[in-house]
Amino acid sequence: MMIPRPPLAELEGKAQWLALLLLAIGLHMFEAAMPSLGPWFKPGLANLVTLLVLVMMGPRAAIAVAIGRVVVGSFFIGTLFTPTFVISMAGGLAAAFIMIAAWRYIPGISLIGISLLGALAHMLAQFVTVESLFIQQGVLYYALPPLLLLSCITGWINGALARYISARLTHDI
Amino acid sequence: MLQLLKGSNTDRLLLLAALLAITFSWFVIQAQISAGPAMAEIYHGQILLATYPLPQAGEAEQRFEVEGELGETVVVLDQQGARIASSPCSTQHCVLSGAHRHAGDIIACVPNRILISIRGKSASGYDAIVE
Repeated sequence: MMIPRPPLAELEGKAQWLALLLLAIGLHMFEAAMPSLGPWFKPGLANLVTLLVLVMMGPRAAIAVAIGRVVVGSFFIGTLFTPTFVISMAGGLAAAFIMIAAWRYIPGISLIGISLLGALAHMLAQFVTVESLFIQQGVLYYALPPLLLLSCITGWINGALARYISARLTHDI
Repeated sequence: MLQLLKGSNTDRLLLLAALLAITFSWFVIQAQISAGPAMAEIYHGQILLATYPLPQAGEAEQRFEVEGELGETVVVLDQQGARIASSPCSTQHCVLSGAHRHAGDIIACVPNRILISIRGKSASGYDAIVE
């Protein structure tokens, strides 16, 4: 019995998703390895890939990339199922859901605004996770405002990059 | 290049709202915690273990051995501020983050569930050189 060959467009879509997932995993590990600006802060390049997948392939693919890159990335870094993993997962998923909601429901928003909201959601979700699961102290939130300011900057820049990249990618394909 | 960073009107409105909210909360927090002398609070999970003033110039450093989830975290308070000198966690982010002395600063070791929070006016060396 012959197994029917999947259509080429479907295979191409899957290959593209996989390529972006691998890129996200690579960036996740790169960010974990780079000298940090503080234990709470990363430039959010891996989230940029989630945003790219969202605009190119839709919400389900974006969430799959967000989960996939945290699981596989943490596996390689050696933090799988540790608090670091839980915090990364909460941040990545919160950013993905907020970006999907913004993309769907906020009229006139560009990739920059979506990325901005994603970066803020990522930072907030990390703090809420730490506060509710690991260190149950409200004083934790005192450190939040300066970090949220940094998130605004990185969110904005990542959004601009995502817009540039997605324009190039969709143009070429 | 600058053209690349230009967002839509909605984007700018969102940024403005975010910046206003952040600045407002920052002021509220600073007003709450910068009163009084500089103190370090050491927590393990939900429990406040110790509140101790940060040593001034000429005062001896203080060392605390704090028992956390994984083992012993060594907290040092000296003229530079508060820092974690050693920790049993694998990431060592808390040790690498160095000394902190400003109101609102925190040092957290999430795996070991240890948190150090600074409140009160930081009596930094620079403030003391006014004369």
